[in-house]
Amino acid sequence: MKAPTRPRRRLIASRLVPYLLLQALIVIATILGLRLLQPSDPDDFAVSGFSLREDGATRPVTLPHFTSSRYSLADPPLYTGAFTFQRDQAASGWSVFLPRFSNAVEIAVNGVVVLDSRRDANANRPDRNTPQIALIPASLLRDGSNEITVRLFVWGPLKGFLDTVYVGPDTALRPAFETRTLLFVTLQVVFSAWQSILAVILAIMWLMRRREPVYGVLAVAMVLGVVQAFVPPPVPPVTTSRLAAVLLASAPTESALIVMFGVLFFGWRWPRYGALLFAPGLIVFVVGLIAGPPLPRILFLTLGIPTVGISLFLMACVTATAVVRRQDAASFTIGCAVTIVLTCWVHDMLSVFEIVTNERIFVSRLSYSAMLVAIGAGLTWRFARALNQVDSFAGQLVARVREAEERLKASFAREEERARAAALANERTRLMRDLHDGLGGQLVSIVALSERGHEGATITDAARAALKDLRLVIDSMDDIGGDLMLALGSWRERATAQLRPHDIALDWRVATPQGLPLHPELRPWHVIQIVRILDEAVTNAVKHAQARNIAVTIETLDGGGGPYGVISVTDDGRGFALSGNGETAGASQTARGLRNMRSRAARCGAVLNLASNASGTRVRLQLPQVFPDSDAAGG
Amino acid sequence: MSEQGETGEAITILLVEDDAPTCWRLQDALVKAGYEVRSAGTLAEARSALAATAPRVLLTDLRLPDGHGVELIREIRQRFPDTEIMVISALGDEESVISAITVGATGYLLKDAFPTDIATTVRDLVAGHSPISASIARFIVRRTQGAAQSSAEPSPGPVLNTAKLTPREIDILWGIAKGFSYAEIASHLGLSRQTVPGHIKNIYRKLEVHTRSEAVFEAVQQGLIKL
Repeated sequence: MKAPTRPRRRLIASRLVPYLLLQALIVIATILGLRLLQPSDPDDFAVSGFSLREDGATRPVTLPHFTSSRYSLADPPLYTGAFTFQRDQAASGWSVFLPRFSNAVEIAVNGVVVLDSRRDANANRPDRNTPQIALIPASLLRDGSNEITVRLFVWGPLKGFLDTVYVGPDTALRPAFETRTLLFVTLQVVFSAWQSILAVILAIMWLMRRREPVYGVLAVAMVLGVVQAFVPPPVPPVTTSRLAAVLLASAPTESALIVMFGVLFFGWRWPRYGALLFAPGLIVFVVGLIAGPPLPRILFLTLGIPTVGISLFLMACVTATAVVRRQDAASFTIGCAVTIVLTCWVHDMLSVFEIVTNERIFVSRLSYSAMLVAIGAGLTWRFARALNQVDSFAGQLVARVREAEERLKASFAREEERARAAALANERTRLMRDLHDGLGGQLVSIVALSERGHEGATITDAARAALKDLRLVIDSMDDIGGDLMLALGSWRERATAQLRPHDIALDWRVATPQGLPLHPELRPWHVIQIVRILDEAVTNAVKHAQARNIAVTIETLDGGGGPYGVISVTDDGRGFALSGNGETAGASQTARGLRNMRSRAARCGAVLNLASNASGTRVRLQLPQVFPDSDAAGG
Repeated sequence: MSEQGETGEAITILLVEDDAPTCWRLQDALVKAGYEVRSAGTLAEARSALAATAPRVLLTDLRLPDGHGVELIREIRQRFPDTEIMVISALGDEESVISAITVGATGYLLKDAFPTDIATTVRDLVAGHSPISASIARFIVRRTQGAAQSSAEPSPGPVLNTAKLTPREIDILWGIAKGFSYAEIASHLGLSRQTVPGHIKNIYRKLEVHTRSEAVFEAVQQGLIKL
């Protein structure tokens, strides 16, 4: 197994190494980008020399400054500084601008409060870098030195932070404020709104395609993100509901969902132990619901933020694996996005732990939102592409169905033509046989009789028989709808006409008004065979048995297995056992006639019974329940 | 012996048949039975024979050298409504007989019928009986079924309007088609035996299309022609 392993390793290496190098480049680019994008502040108006009174002690500090974490709002750290104001510069009014602080500030100029950020709940979110600006009423300002005091309210677990304070003409400060607002507030709201729309779209997709949970997972993650972005954070001492508190701490759950999405998106199964990734989020949630603030915040910081990091790292691993295996645009794109977010997360961690000098600007949330929006857009793109594929597939399908239909139509027409030809050939064969059996033979016999100089009766008989047979063949071709009685009705007329010169009465007895059962499968050749059997029976009775009365009985019997018809021809003649005496020709003719009758009956699936004695003959034809489809015993 | 009508005069028959032996055969049988027979071999001869007097009975073949017997039947039906008309046929096939019935013929006579049967048939005809064969009855009732099933597609064969027939008349035709005698049909349907021939005469009259305009009307009624 060594041989296949080594090339595979080489393949992995050959794919992984360039990818990792690319990610390294992206990390560097991200760091550079973060440095470059650092909004510039109007340094001319910076006020950084303050004296801080904290816990009763007063000491000079330089902004930006971190203070210790605390959970009480009483006796907050108080920064006192001074700035110089010249009235001739006050054309546009002066403002105080705070680029970054956490968690809330109250600013007073010359002892009068001009700004209290606690009233704007969103300004106090530590994960957003909301700036604040306030116009200083002109009446408050004095020529020369003015006092500015900043109370910094901190609610743990993070340390308090106060960036450099700027005091100066509003026109000079406003652009910096606007830039920061655009970057850290407006953009965040735009992303969140975008995210909420995508959440709705993805949720609908998932509802319509339940077997693709990947959309559902991403929708849930986005909904959590949106809720988190729009739930107003409570400002102590006001306590909002515990649910709101825990919803604000939903980032670990969200990040675990993103990992799940990654795994499902790349077509892998979500492992059972993957549920462990949701444990921290669940713990934060449950504990937060039970205990109430500030526990959710503490847990969030100690448990949630690391979980987010782990999730991002797992996501990076998942995408790296996908890149190695699939080498496609989607995995590359997501991989790069994850790398950027991970870099931002590390940046924020370094900032929190003050490992690098910074202005405490958190970028994870922003980059994360951007990533989700990118993923959502990618999914929508994939969906649209799938729709296009379906369209072209449907088009192909329509074309193919049309082709198949054409072929089918052609083959059906061919088949129909063939079937018609076969039916015609069958019909022709049958007609030939029927004409040959009857009419042909009789005409030949007429020719023979005329040649030998016979006259009168014999030729007349043969010609009449030929005509009778012709009428039978024509009659049998008529559609009688499976009702044999209709054929027998015509036969009765012909037989009566045939018997009248012999002065023989034909007694016609039909047991039931309906007569015989209907046979939808009845074909003309069945009719011909049956009528010829009856003809033969009547002819025998007249010619050889010298009967005076002939009775035809038609009845329908039912032996339990369904109704069947029975036709009996009874005569009061001598019977044919006696007819052999001195009339060899007649006897052999009778024997041949009987043989014919039996074979005809067999071809129709009917049973022929003969009973004959000196007082008469009875021919009993028992019809089948179902007439055979093919001429089995034919020939 | 001589067959006589109600007026006591001999019954005249116009026999139109182009095949000479067949013509002799039928003429012999009828003359022997006492009828006064004039024979014609073509439509033209038949028309000139009609110029003198109207025959009581017309027996005509359908395929004639100078035309079709149906034309003759239609003419006589219009000029002499009292003349009984019958078709002479070799096979008694529905195709020709039905087309004759629709212009006013009553049944048919087989060319090879026994002389006694020929005489009997004509005597019954003059007596007002209208014979109908099982195969003709069968054709008519099959057509009534076909009309009920699919009126969109006209059945093959001659045009035949069965719409005027009453259910009772159709029942009688079914009985005839199945080979039952008048007595049996009458007892099945709860009729008097004597009324059956009257019903059959009605059937013939209902199947008859009297004029060309009426034929057109019938065709429109049946949806065969779209105006």
